[in-house]
Amino acid sequence: MTQALLVLWILCAIFIILENRIYRVIIYFGIFSLITSLAYLLLGAPDVAMAEAAISAFCTIFFIICIEKYYSSRDNVKKEEERGSKKHLFRGFVKLLPPLALCAGLFVLFVYFIPDSPMSTYLKYQYLMRFMQDVGGENAVTAIYLGYRVYDTLFEALILVISVVAVSHMSYYEASQVKDGKHSEIENSGMAIFTMRLICPIIIIFGAYLIMNGHISAGGGFQGGLAVATFFICRYLIYDIYDIPVNKVIKLEEIVFISIIIVTAFAVFLGAAAYMPTAFLPFYHNIYLIIMNVLIGMKVACGFFVLFYRYIAIERR
Amino acid sequence: MDIFSVEYMEIFSIALFFLAYFGIITSKNIIKSIIFIMLMQTAAVMFWLKLGAETSAMPAPPIIYEADLLERAVFIADPLPQALTLTAIIIGFSVIAIIITMLNTLYRHHRTTDWGKLEKLVQ
Repeated sequence: MTQALLVLWILCAIFIILENRIYRVIIYFGIFSLITSLAYLLLGAPDVAMAEAAISAFCTIFFIICIEKYYSSRDNVKKEEERGSKKHLFRGFVKLLPPLALCAGLFVLFVYFIPDSPMSTYLKYQYLMRFMQDVGGENAVTAIYLGYRVYDTLFEALILVISVVAVSHMSYYEASQVKDGKHSEIENSGMAIFTMRLICPIIIIFGAYLIMNGHISAGGGFQGGLAVATFFICRYLIYDIYDIPVNKVIKLEEIVFISIIIVTAFAVFLGAAAYMPTAFLPFYHNIYLIIMNVLIGMKVACGFFVLFYRYIAIERR
Repeated sequence: MDIFSVEYMEIFSIALFFLAYFGIITSKNIIKSIIFIMLMQTAAVMFWLKLGAETSAMPAPPIIYEADLLERAVFIADPLPQALTLTAIIIGFSVIAIIITMLNTLYRHHRTTDWGKLEKLVQ
């Protein structure tokens, strides 16, 4: 099955290169990311597969929101389609030969240097043997990004905060919160309301489950946070997001980020004892992992909701 | 070892990387360039995850419930690339969000999403 998957993967990329109409390119990108997520699962990485599926869904939404303004008028679409006439095709192909030669040459060079023997794997066995005593939990990936390499997580949270701030400041518009904006087109559809009322509670409960059980099974703070953000996006489809105070959500995100720094510093200064606080909190094991996952989940959910709000409410004018 | 097997996933990843690189060089539309940047990131992530999953059978996720796993450890995927690529995917998306905002600002100023027309307008 992997062979058909990989061939489809490359075919999607080739179709993206050859296609001129932007709506189709974005659909091809959606198909590409679905195949990628499945391939990650077949490579034994369910955490990464969940994150990739949610992230590329958000990306597709953001692209569609942005391009609906650019290509809403008929003459823009017509100009794109008339570019494929036969006279320009040959001249265009000749112009494309030097980059094609460069890329083909680099590809052959890189394939020549693929190592035959597997890369050093002794670190894999050290992590797999020791993470249950050192950090706790049963998910090795959670143990790594919350225990052995918690600084990476800290700076990744910082980059999310910076991206939320940067989106506010690089925008063309000055407003940061609107009272009432453009509502969804399917807001009054009975079928949509019925479906979303069934699905939205399941989505948010699933997000909470992923956050709380990230250290025992596949999941974690990032994936759960993305699922909770998906809940708010689904809510926009049937109801409204303009009643949620975005300034307070931004403040909540900042408070959660400061808490992440404090809990991480706490763990660093206490050393290994922070991961297994059975000494001073004897009733619960793995409390550090659960607290960190909850904080990261809240942070990711708030950040993505603010980004979505900015795109829907403000960038669409 | 036929041509369509898991060992050739590395070649497919490198092929995708350079396909996306070719796409960035020759694309006339700004939005397609942004999508090709995301394809390059996906190719790098897939290559790295493949290097971490060099087992003879289909690799198992690194979630273990038993105390000792000396027999099974050969078939488990490496957890370190997964943890780092998780962070990398989210950082990549944050950068793309900023880039899309900059694109929107650019469009409001210049009213075009074409690289050629943009060059003529900016000069």
